Amino acid sequence: MRKRSPWHRFGLAVSCALITLFVMLPIYWMVVTSFKTDAGVSAPSPQWFPNPLSTESYVNAFVNNSFGRYILNSVVVAVAATVVVLALGTLAGYALGRLPMRGKFITLMLLLMISVFPAIALIAPLYLLMRQLDWLNSYQALILPYAAFNLPFAIWILRNYFLGIPREMEEMGRIDGASPLRTLWSIILPMALPGLFTAGVFTFTACWTEFLMALSFNSSNDFRTIPVGIALFGSPHITPYGTLFAASTVAVLPIAILVLVFRKSVVSGLTSGAVKG
Amino acid sequence: MATDRTTAPTDKNPHRVLPPSAKRKHDVNRKRQARLGWYFSTPALLVVAGVTIFPIVFSVVMSFSNVQVLGSGFQLSGATLNNFGIVFGSAKWRYALAFTVIYTVVTVTIEVVLGTLIALVLERLRGVRGWMMAMLLIPWSLITVISAQLWNYIYDPTYGAADAIFSALGLGHPVILGSNASAIIAMMVADIWKTTPFVAIIVLAGLVMLPGDVYEAAEMDGSNGWQTFWRITLPLLRPTIALAVLFRILQAFGLFDLPFVLTQGGPGYATTSLAVLGYQAMFTNLSFGPGAAVAVTTAALVVLGCIVFLRVFRAQVNQGEEN
Repeated sequence: MRKRSPWHRFGLAVSCALITLFVMLPIYWMVVTSFKTDAGVSAPSPQWFPNPLSTESYVNAFVNNSFGRYILNSVVVAVAATVVVLALGTLAGYALGRLPMRGKFITLMLLLMISVFPAIALIAPLYLLMRQLDWLNSYQALILPYAAFNLPFAIWILRNYFLGIPREMEEMGRIDGASPLRTLWSIILPMALPGLFTAGVFTFTACWTEFLMALSFNSSNDFRTIPVGIALFGSPHITPYGTLFAASTVAVLPIAILVLVFRKSVVSGLTSGAVKG
Repeated sequence: MATDRTTAPTDKNPHRVLPPSAKRKHDVNRKRQARLGWYFSTPALLVVAGVTIFPIVFSVVMSFSNVQVLGSGFQLSGATLNNFGIVFGSAKWRYALAFTVIYTVVTVTIEVVLGTLIALVLERLRGVRGWMMAMLLIPWSLITVISAQLWNYIYDPTYGAADAIFSALGLGHPVILGSNASAIIAMMVADIWKTTPFVAIIVLAGLVMLPGDVYEAAEMDGSNGWQTFWRITLPLLRPTIALAVLFRILQAFGLFDLPFVLTQGGPGYATTSLAVLGYQAMFTNLSFGPGAAVAVTTAALVVLGCIVFLRVFRAQVNQGEEN
């Protein structure tokens, strides 16, 4: 299996090329289209390359339309929810991983159950709750549910990391006379940093891409997140794809960079799920 | 809000005493630690419970109630089984259920097969593997709404890339999203494109962690690549693949973003998933009772599926618990 015949290598190269094409072609198409003129976007025979190269779609998206605002909204909501998830998830993950609590297993199982609950089942009551609180079209209308829906996974991930840290580390903190919170903060947490990255990246990505709740709670123009803005843009008969893809390209960038920078964390997150069940 | 709650417990619980070795004091210490555990986890559990338990209960109540829509909202009056009667008796719901199940089975099967193939290729790579994996993460992190609009453009009957390909192949100009079968297939293609990389990454991670000595033993026994794959790799990968399948089934059962943007559930209701149906019932038609019944039935199916899965894979979950 470890022998590498030229045929083997050729096959591998072809497979890799095919995989790259399969994954990247639609992305390429989106980016290329965002740099076309309106005429280029609706050309009867698709242009492989923008000709002429144009940034008019970007001007349309960010100057003539509110996509800048939508991106800002997405950033605010996703960052706030991620901070809440990491703060509360660390404490809970540590407790459920390391402290001798009764009912740990049940709690973890309940969390798992809740995290698989389809959002559609909760949307109507949550909508009513938000309306009662006068929270419709506000940041907190998304921050709170996003935090709640992402906490179970974050707690599981962090718990798995805490389980892997040797117990002696806590003893060290205790001998030094540090409080449990202090021990957690300055001794345990640095060792669980990869877990924090993983939980953080997953939460941020989930918030950045979430659509159903954002559509139901925040549909006013000022509070649309990027998915809602993109879904509701245009009229039923005309979709200005150039503008949409300019906005999409900008919306894809931060998350793509984040995921590429933290790709080890992301993969380990997916893996730790796979290992620990 | 978060910081208030998280710092409070330490004041009540000064844990600065050294742990004594005496048994009785050890028990006291344990108790104290258990209490600390609840202090630590309560804020998170409260947030989760507040945002999920109440709506779950309320959804169930709503699905068993007469819901009257008023000008400013709606009112629940009296218990009834009508909502479920309406739902189960509706051809649209039965179609949505069948569609969601078939869609899930087909896409997940194709995604797992393709994803495993991709993982097997990437596993053989050396230098570029990291880059290929990074690339696979891009569709995974892409906003589904964006990928839906992207495929919408590709499928456009006048200037879409797919149309150009079809006419170049001499297949004319089919309106891809205009007929039932082709709209369903088109949606599956969009789904497979976005999610196969996710499956590939999970399977690859599982592959990389397989013990190498098993392979050496197989090689010494003269097992060829094909036999090794079917007799060793695949059985060892089973838990990993099962997990990927579970993730995918859960996601696919909540299928909403893609049909909502790509086809609006159409043509007719050919691509109306359970989630789209529930959403339309509640927010478009304001029939909250039947809408809640759709939502609750969907959730019940998902939870049921999960329980079955956990029963099958209980051993692995418990293994993590022993530490």
